[in-house]
Amino acid sequence: MQASAAAARAMSLLAPARGTCIRTKVYPPQRDVTDEPPRIGVFICHCGSNIASVVDVEEVVRRTAVLPNVVLAEHNIYTCADDTQDTIKDKIGQYRLNRVIVASCTPRTHEAIFRDTLRDAGLNPYLLEMANIRDQCSWVHSAAPDSATRKAADLVRMAVGRAARLVPLTEDTVTVKGAALIIGGGVAGMTAALAMADQGFPVHLVEKSEALGGAARDLFRTLDGLDVQAFLAETIDRVIGHPRITVHLHSHVTQVEGHVGDFTSVITTGAKTRQVEHGVVVVATGAVEGKPTTFGYGQSPRVITQRDLSGQLARGELDLPKGATVAMLQCVEQRTADRPYCSRVCCTMAVQNALAVRERHPDARVVVLYRDMRTYGFREIAYKKARQAGVLFVRFDDDAPPGFSLGADGAIELTVRDAIVQRDLLMRPSVLVLAAPIVGQHDRQEVSDLLRIPINADGFFLEAHVKLRPVDFASEGLFLCGTAHAPKFLSETISQASAVAARAASILSRQTMPIGAQIARVDPDKCVSCMTCVHVCPYLAPIVGDDNKAQVQPTVCMGCGSCTSECPAKAITLHHYTDAQILGAIDRLLNAGPGPVGPGEGAYLEQVGVARPRWTEG
Amino acid sequence: MIVADRKKIPEIRDMIQGHDRVLLVGCGTCVTVCLAGGEREVGIIGAALRMSLKLVGRGHVVVDQCTIERQCEDAFIDILAQRVSQYDAICSLGCGAGVQTLAERFPQKPVYPGLNTQFIGILESQGVWTEKCLGCGHCRLGEFAGVCPITRCAKRLLNGPCGGSREGKCEVNADTECAWQRIYDRAKALGTLDRLDAIAAPHDWSTGIEGGPRKVVREDQCIAGLGPKS
Amino acid sequence: MDTDQELVILALCCHYCAYAAADMAGSMRLQYPGSVRVLRFPCTSKIEVNYLLTAFERGIDGILVAGCLEGGCHFLEGNLRARRRVERAKKLLDEIGLGAGRLEMFNLSSAEGPRFAEIATEMHERVVELGPSPLRRGREAVLAGVAGMASLAEAVIAGEKT
Repeated sequence: MQASAAAARAMSLLAPARGTCIRTKVYPPQRDVTDEPPRIGVFICHCGSNIASVVDVEEVVRRTAVLPNVVLAEHNIYTCADDTQDTIKDKIGQYRLNRVIVASCTPRTHEAIFRDTLRDAGLNPYLLEMANIRDQCSWVHSAAPDSATRKAADLVRMAVGRAARLVPLTEDTVTVKGAALIIGGGVAGMTAALAMADQGFPVHLVEKSEALGGAARDLFRTLDGLDVQAFLAETIDRVIGHPRITVHLHSHVTQVEGHVGDFTSVITTGAKTRQVEHGVVVVATGAVEGKPTTFGYGQSPRVITQRDLSGQLARGELDLPKGATVAMLQCVEQRTADRPYCSRVCCTMAVQNALAVRERHPDARVVVLYRDMRTYGFREIAYKKARQAGVLFVRFDDDAPPGFSLGADGAIELTVRDAIVQRDLLMRPSVLVLAAPIVGQHDRQEVSDLLRIPINADGFFLEAHVKLRPVDFASEGLFLCGTAHAPKFLSETISQASAVAARAASILSRQTMPIGAQIARVDPDKCVSCMTCVHVCPYLAPIVGDDNKAQVQPTVCMGCGSCTSECPAKAITLHHYTDAQILGAIDRLLNAGPGPVGPGEGAYLEQVGVARPRWTEG
Repeated sequence: MIVADRKKIPEIRDMIQGHDRVLLVGCGTCVTVCLAGGEREVGIIGAALRMSLKLVGRGHVVVDQCTIERQCEDAFIDILAQRVSQYDAICSLGCGAGVQTLAERFPQKPVYPGLNTQFIGILESQGVWTEKCLGCGHCRLGEFAGVCPITRCAKRLLNGPCGGSREGKCEVNADTECAWQRIYDRAKALGTLDRLDAIAAPHDWSTGIEGGPRKVVREDQCIAGLGPKS
Repeated sequence: MDTDQELVILALCCHYCAYAAADMAGSMRLQYPGSVRVLRFPCTSKIEVNYLLTAFERGIDGILVAGCLEGGCHFLEGNLRARRRVERAKKLLDEIGLGAGRLEMFNLSSAEGPRFAEIATEMHERVVELGPSPLRRGREAVLAGVAGMASLAEAVIAGEKT
């Protein structure tokens, strides 16, 4: 995430140079192989000694050469070397190969390379199949070379079974609408907007309230002492003054249609509506401080939240009697069974406020009642400083929360069992400061329904994958930053928002986008409109079309195959993972399949009326 | 739609005892939609059945499979005619109507059911089907705010709930909604509670299955000269 | 395939986690039994009940389905759907008497190379215990013979009873 954020900063600097150093590779036209029977060429790699020192490569060649549809089997020292790739291209022409198998390392690293080789030779890249005889064979069976050789031959045979059924696929493209729609005009939304606009992309920034700034309007100082309000004012000025940012205040996004690269949305401002076109959506709707319902909050003006306290400190409104006690209670209505998450910022905020109280009112006693102090990273230094400054930290057990009573005269009485000395403490603080939880926006469900994005059990939006796809939603073209995602510090929000700008730029900077060919397709003649695919797809890609038959939206489909595995009429096919291809591999492994595959059989055409029996020959 | 679910493989295996060539026939309508007898299920049951036969030493039995558009229509069954001649028996993964239509069309072939036909119902949520209609031949949904107490009340009460309704659930089966709770809630929402004050007349069961097998004859739809099929 | 001597186990792996973990087991040079052959899927949710049954019908000795950790699927819920399907296939395997033990689903992350080697070994050992699949070619005749003798014996017993 930090790397993406840094990339965004670099991209704004490089914006004028975008696209100036690109050379477009030209490929020869693709040969039409539809009417040819499969002619498979198999290239078995030694990988130096990585494979050949364990697997008897020549034996694998011998066993492979006799398989149906195989017209060429040979071995190479390094199949991925430039000269070997040239050889492959030559052999494709010489033997009129129309399927190529490379038995070498893992397709996870080398599939793209060999697909490119095929394209260079005028073959569709989806006519490549790989057999992983290094990472998943020679390396893991180095102690059993005979078994490894048999296994390598089996893996290649499976690849032959699959390759014979491979069909050329074409990737569609969509024209990218190079603008962004950002929902939420807080620091997250504004940061993302500026980072994108600085890179040259138009931005629509939609804020539901009457002003930009969001929750940061109630923040005053960071732990490092930086002035949040000054930063906010400057940011708002930049946003409003930016020629490429259109700010929509008092507005809601009421409709979003389309898919990555090509969305059309409606922004409603009062009675007026405006339609905008854009390529990405950023959700930066933020979160709010949950108002406590316990510990006398709302009943006594002397019970406040940490956020209230920092406001009072910043405005110089905190009025304490001589020798007052300020009690701070952490983890209020959070990290409980009902609300199990931690709001992340409260410990630091307590430490920061405690230090400020001690500074302004040196005679005041500050007691922090806590379960664990989570002043992570360098924030730990402030925690140490607070202890040095005489702030008392009293730990209580999760199962022994402090007792609270409010006297008729407004006196606060707190009882707490100190978990370390195992003694009950009684205190009568002048002010009780509660670490209230950060909770999701009340209207989050509407946003979720609008964009079809998931909300987690804590009430925040869920990104696709914490490590592998941070800031992305699972659905392509949708991004997430700020406290809408989870409670976090301002600095974390800013890096996350910058990261979003970089990820979004990877879409917006293109003229067109290819859509992977490995997607599901419904045969409307076989569809019985049972809605099973609509129910099982995690991305809501299948919809029921005007003909009352299901259709999978190609730009929404991620190609997982969920729908194809459930469709009771077997009306859905996942390209590149068809029944014929998968069962072809299994059949060949178990020597159970039919003989050579003829021209056009790869598709396993169905007879009209009577469905061809699947996987049974008479 | 008609809801069905599959029989256990050993039951099917035992039914086809004595036949060496069996054709498994799926149906492309209701039983496909309720995930019981469509092309996918035919493939799964076919593979399981063949394995099951092999494991009991009857590996020589051929089980082939196909799925037709609709088993309750001769025109679609006719497509099978030639193929069927190559088999000793048929196992149908259609509903009871499908099984019998096949049996009638192929008088020389034993036809066995691979499914248990359950009821007329709907998909409640993915994987859950519930009964909605008994096919009693005398629909009174208009009296009961669109919720059928004849099908959905375990006691088929027509004049309000029994004393066993608890928090909207039926006392006979706590998984089941109390039909009368639903009727009341809907009527209330529709502002038609007063209609429930009327005493509902006893149900006329003469139009139901209890009156013997039923037949619908629509003279206006019969094609002149051919007359109603007897 | 030297079917008569060697057990064959299919590992149906999702591209993102299990297949990557299998690669990692290689990079770490971890050793596991040579019976395991990996077939790659985009996601375990592409694995149909029919694929599992067909492989058993063709005589595979065991199948392990390996997907991402629950909650960590690259296709959101694909591995949960796959688990349901594996359960369904297991039920059928039990019904027909082949036994559900020959099929198992595992969840692991792409960083768990050692775990892949571990489950490959675990599945291999389990299948060794169960023995080769009785559905493999060449064994049918034996089975038919056994069944024939059994029914003969039953007939004799029945005869004795009457």
